[in-house]
Amino acid sequence: MAAKEPVKRVIQQVRPILSLDRDEARRRVLNLYKAWYRTIPFIVDKFDIPKSEEQCKSKLREMFLRHKEVSDVRVIDMLVIKGQMELKECTKQWKQKGHVMNYWQETVEPKPADFLSKFMSGQN
Amino acid sequence: MLRVPLTRAICLTHSSRVLVTASARLQSNIPAKAPEKVEVFIDDQPVMVAPGTTVLQAAAQIGVEIPRFCYHERLAVAGNCRMCLVEVEKSPKPVAACAMPVMKGWRIKTNSEMTRKAREGVMEFLLANHPLDCPICDQGGECDLQDQAMVFGSDRSRFTDIDHAGKRAVEDKDIGPLVKTIMTRCIHCTRCIRFASEIAGVDDFGTTGRGNEMQVGTYVEKLFLTELSGNVIDLCPVGALTNKPYSFSARPWEVRKIDSIDVLDALGSNIVVSTRTGEVLRILPRENEDINEEWLSDKSRFACDGLKRQRLITPMLRKPNGELEAVEWETALIGVAQAVQNAGDKVAAVAGSLVDAEQLIAVKDLLNRLGSELLCTEQKFPTADGTSGTDFRSNYLLNSSIAACEEADLVLLVGTNPRYEAPLLNTRLRKGYVHKEQDIALIGPKVDLSYRYEHLGNSSSIVQDIASGKHPFAQRLKSAKRPLVIVGANALSRSDGKAFLAGLHSFANQLTPEDKNWKVWNVLQTNASQVAALDMGYKAGVEEIVAAGPKVLFLLGADGGAINKDNIPKDCFVVYLGHHGDNGAPLAHAILPGAAYTEKQATYVNTEGRAQQTLVAITPPGMARDDWKIIRALSEVIGTSLPYDNLDEIRDRLEDVAPHLVRYGRLEENNFYAQAAQLAKLQASSLQGDIDVKQRTLADFFMTDSISRASPTMAKCVQAVKKAQATA
Repeated sequence: MAAKEPVKRVIQQVRPILSLDRDEARRRVLNLYKAWYRTIPFIVDKFDIPKSEEQCKSKLREMFLRHKEVSDVRVIDMLVIKGQMELKECTKQWKQKGHVMNYWQETVEPKPADFLSKFMSGQN
Repeated sequence: MLRVPLTRAICLTHSSRVLVTASARLQSNIPAKAPEKVEVFIDDQPVMVAPGTTVLQAAAQIGVEIPRFCYHERLAVAGNCRMCLVEVEKSPKPVAACAMPVMKGWRIKTNSEMTRKAREGVMEFLLANHPLDCPICDQGGECDLQDQAMVFGSDRSRFTDIDHAGKRAVEDKDIGPLVKTIMTRCIHCTRCIRFASEIAGVDDFGTTGRGNEMQVGTYVEKLFLTELSGNVIDLCPVGALTNKPYSFSARPWEVRKIDSIDVLDALGSNIVVSTRTGEVLRILPRENEDINEEWLSDKSRFACDGLKRQRLITPMLRKPNGELEAVEWETALIGVAQAVQNAGDKVAAVAGSLVDAEQLIAVKDLLNRLGSELLCTEQKFPTADGTSGTDFRSNYLLNSSIAACEEADLVLLVGTNPRYEAPLLNTRLRKGYVHKEQDIALIGPKVDLSYRYEHLGNSSSIVQDIASGKHPFAQRLKSAKRPLVIVGANALSRSDGKAFLAGLHSFANQLTPEDKNWKVWNVLQTNASQVAALDMGYKAGVEEIVAAGPKVLFLLGADGGAINKDNIPKDCFVVYLGHHGDNGAPLAHAILPGAAYTEKQATYVNTEGRAQQTLVAITPPGMARDDWKIIRALSEVIGTSLPYDNLDEIRDRLEDVAPHLVRYGRLEENNFYAQAAQLAKLQASSLQGDIDVKQRTLADFFMTDSISRASPTMAKCVQAVKKAQATA
């Protein structure tokens, strides 16, 4: 009984989501990346977005690299799951054109950062 | 403790007053033995209280609250509502807790069968004669009768109006544009009557009739002409007296309540601002024993509708044809910045009466960076030939503190009418007069101060005589134990103000009060911004600016008329920074809209030198911005950015300049009285003419600044008072 206790505690602390170690997580990330990469021509074609395949590929790379600092296996798994959901929404065409274009966030205005522009726009 | 009988409030004949004073002094010579405490039991809990304590106060000491309608701790005990009846063991009848002093060993039961039955009976009688109009009553939700009926009333009614005769009805009275009366709701607690005669000092209210015929009213149709009339609204436990401008506008549970500070006089009364849907609905007093107790003057309470009118909501620039044109902030700032850059160091600023400390420091920093020292306040304070009267803080403050004013035994008022310049200081003086044998004398025009005072005359030669010790009153001041000299800021702003300062300050310093720390020299400021401005090194009075002839002049809400078309150069570019289109704005070439005191978190220092902050209740209207932020933005456009971007940073800067400005709620000690008096003495000059005050009657009280001048309620008050005075 006594020997079981610490083991139990460790398991409780880090219950894996999908991957047991970093290698496995890395494989999942690469697989997801590849899947997306292969879907890009389909997305450009079906959604009729004003973006080229190259632009989409660089956006894909950018989105993945946004999380390059993440080292927690569980967090990586979560992100992979979310990425898969996004991918499925694209391939099944549950998303619409606007949703895909949201990746570029062209309509989002950056919040004013310096005092003067905050003052002019009336934000504090 | 029972209140001292109001001999002075009631006996207005002179001879009897002297008698009372003499006997009181005789008694006070005998050293009082500390009275032994008596033990009583409230709901079987033992409590030790001083003899003479009432049952209600003894219960309050251990946190048992006995319901009451007529009892109010700041008013005399009336004991007529009977709601506070409690059982005392071995007493055949319940006793009125608010009026009955405790006896040794009493066992008081505040929740016994007899007590509860007594309360239920009282509630039943009250409700039998009270209309059931809670849904349309303005007191609904904050009504003592409602609340206590829920807690202590019976769960069923024996009131059946089988004859359809209707309940007792009473005709409403017209007592002015501020207080609405629905006298049918009155439960005859007489709080308003006691407030009027004890605190406000106008014996207008009273009762007529007996029993069911009893009515509270003014006997003859008459306005309730006092600067404190709004307080009866708070005192009224039911909806008989309600706020007329606020009537039918909101329920207490749907408004947001923000604690803030009043800036319409220099006392800095604590207030609660009630807002809903982005507008200020009403202002209520917040309790602060050191400043306003729980009262509020009518101007502070009712001028809030002025915050919605005459507002500057967009920046404006004057076109070549002389018209003001609404522009974007960018255009306005660039326009002002160009003018400032062309002016070199010939830039000046005048601070008006409602400016906060953050704005003052930002403007000062900006102008100093541009190489100018021309920063003035609108109101003058005697300064001269290198020895500035504002170098020492004690020179321009109400040093003894507002609360201590009621402790004084002899007060000399010079060139001030505290009743209208600082109504809540006047209630302190009246309190001292009524309860503490205070004597008051006035130099200035004969005005009604709501209490008896000795009128020494209005010639300024009297000031000279007192200062030199020739006047008989000087001897009385010398022999007084706690004398006070309160000089009005308006008297000091005269051209011979120096002589007031020199004469009275050194005279005040010669006095030897009983307590070494007692402060004799006091200045009663009239502007909320003046103390902060002087603390920060603004010069008082605009002469220097007029003499220098600046190329760019900033008016920081300067509406007092010290700057006008005639005393500034023709080519001077005037920038008006403020919240109301009042006297200053028409002069301006550029208008930068700022925030009023309810719309910003800002620091104000009151006349006793206490820093307090207002909080944001609503957002500034239209394109108006926080005042200091306008200056900060302007500095960036000019090319010399001020080093603070947010409130914390500018407050750090304030702290660097004067640490007391950010010690909110604290009263700083002042010193250097002797040195200040010596400096003042160097400024020899002579007094001429008679002393006058700006606000003589109630009609002069209501409209004194840009907010109250924009307020329709205040306009109605002036009209009503003038009409009443014409017919009286």
